[in-house]
Amino acid sequence: MSERAKRITRLGHNYLDPEAKNALIRFSGVSKVYPNGTKALKDVNLKIDDGEFAFVVGSSGAGKSTLIKMIMGEERPTKGIIEVNGYNISRIKHRQIPKLRRSMGVVFQDFRLIPTMTVYDNVAFALRVTGVNPRDIRKRVPYILGLVELASKAKCMPLELSGGEQQRVALARALVNNPSLIIADEPTGNIDPELSFEIVELLNEINRCGTTILMVTHEHNLVAHFNKRVITVENGKVISDGVGLEWGP
Amino acid sequence: MKGSSIGYLLKEGAKNVWVNRMMSVASIGVLTACLLLIGGAVLFSINVNSIVGYVESQNELKVYLKSDITDDVRSSLDANIRKVANLGDIEYIPKEKGIITFSKTMGEYSDLMAGLEGDQNPLPDAYDVKVKDLSALNATVQALQSLEGVDSVAAPVEVAKSITGIKNAVTVFGIIVVAILVLVSLIITANTIKITVYNRRKEINIMKFVGATDSFIRLPFIIEGTILGLLSALLAFLAVWVGYDYLLSHLTQGAAGWLSLAYKNFVPFDQVAMKLFIGFIGAGVVSGMFGSMLFVRKHLRV
Repeated sequence: MSERAKRITRLGHNYLDPEAKNALIRFSGVSKVYPNGTKALKDVNLKIDDGEFAFVVGSSGAGKSTLIKMIMGEERPTKGIIEVNGYNISRIKHRQIPKLRRSMGVVFQDFRLIPTMTVYDNVAFALRVTGVNPRDIRKRVPYILGLVELASKAKCMPLELSGGEQQRVALARALVNNPSLIIADEPTGNIDPELSFEIVELLNEINRCGTTILMVTHEHNLVAHFNKRVITVENGKVISDGVGLEWGP
Repeated sequence: MKGSSIGYLLKEGAKNVWVNRMMSVASIGVLTACLLLIGGAVLFSINVNSIVGYVESQNELKVYLKSDITDDVRSSLDANIRKVANLGDIEYIPKEKGIITFSKTMGEYSDLMAGLEGDQNPLPDAYDVKVKDLSALNATVQALQSLEGVDSVAAPVEVAKSITGIKNAVTVFGIIVVAILVLVSLIITANTIKITVYNRRKEINIMKFVGATDSFIRLPFIIEGTILGLLSALLAFLAVWVGYDYLLSHLTQGAAGWLSLAYKNFVPFDQVAMKLFIGFIGAGVVSGMFGSMLFVRKHLRV
């Protein structure tokens, strides 16, 4: 039995149930109320299958960030159950969170590269935290940098690169661990429109190789262009969920 | 954690000292200044204590024996007096020697003493006794007085009182000053480390999102803090060494009278060097290490 299958069995599911097997992320009746009283999510039910590509859209303050934070284990639900990659987020222990995060890659709007490390070290860091041996790191990092076409910039510092290049470094870092899930939180928010398509195209290619992609975005034209599943969140609720759906302004 | 990870983290910690060199210089500056102040205060009170200790050691008691003392009592007293606590040098002064010493102190009037030798000698036999700790003088005097064959004890009670007073005041004052300096240093050092860590909170945050464990993030910071603490301790030690030697060589030259007596009792640096070195290293490393540990922890809760 695989590591993930064991975790899922521990959660009390029947792993042979095809529904359970395919769900990489599952929200069941999830609500989140912040200590200041803000109701960020209200009774959200959501299932994202292994290998899917889904956009999450909605106006600011709709609850998209809370959704992402809970998938990453940064926030816990007030009510309901969240399962990600076989981890139960409602009851995950602090020391298990690093393992949860190694099973996913995250790309942020502001890139979040470590400014004092070279491009190479930024990508290698994600491997180092998991204790991969140095020889494998030296092989894996150049390969991944080649994939995002940044092999020639390995020795550069992040701030010497353009926005699009920095985002590709972040993507390389998210990919390097071979994660089953990539979360992209407005990855195109800080880069030129023509480069935005490039980034999403890259994500699309990664998805074709079997990695699940969950991308939060504001940009209508991107969503319209890549005819994928669109989950619309408004006022803490999922108001529509389907392929190629349009959503209001 | 694997061996290769630990090697990487050690290197990373050392590298960070250089990468964040502005903050490193600031931290070392603050920590060195604090250690210098503490070292100065400690050296000052050690020296005052040494001088007072010298003055203290010059104090003598005279223990006069009864004139009708028998030889038996005399020999048992000689054994018993050596058992009394808190005594330094003990010297027996028979009255024949006492009268010679006394007439010498009379100077040109020493002829007045003529005819008082031999059987006419009015002085009793005595012991000259040095006291180790003047603050326990009263108890010592009582112990001596209770010995069989002792007639009376002459003690410089007033002098003892004032010296003990000075000594206590210096000790208490020294402890208070050092305590305040240590407290201030801790606050300043803590704040410096806090700023250093705060400047890099984003970095810590990113590491957390990539799946780094808390100890993986913390270790380089601890190494960094330890290195900064060590460097500060070394700098402070060298500065105190050079400064103290310079001061001593200048003060001891050309000093006269009372002052030269005080200067002679300055503690040479090599006598305190080891303790000071260990103290500095300890304080530097502990504040660097624990400071980093404490403040990084705050940013790990994501």
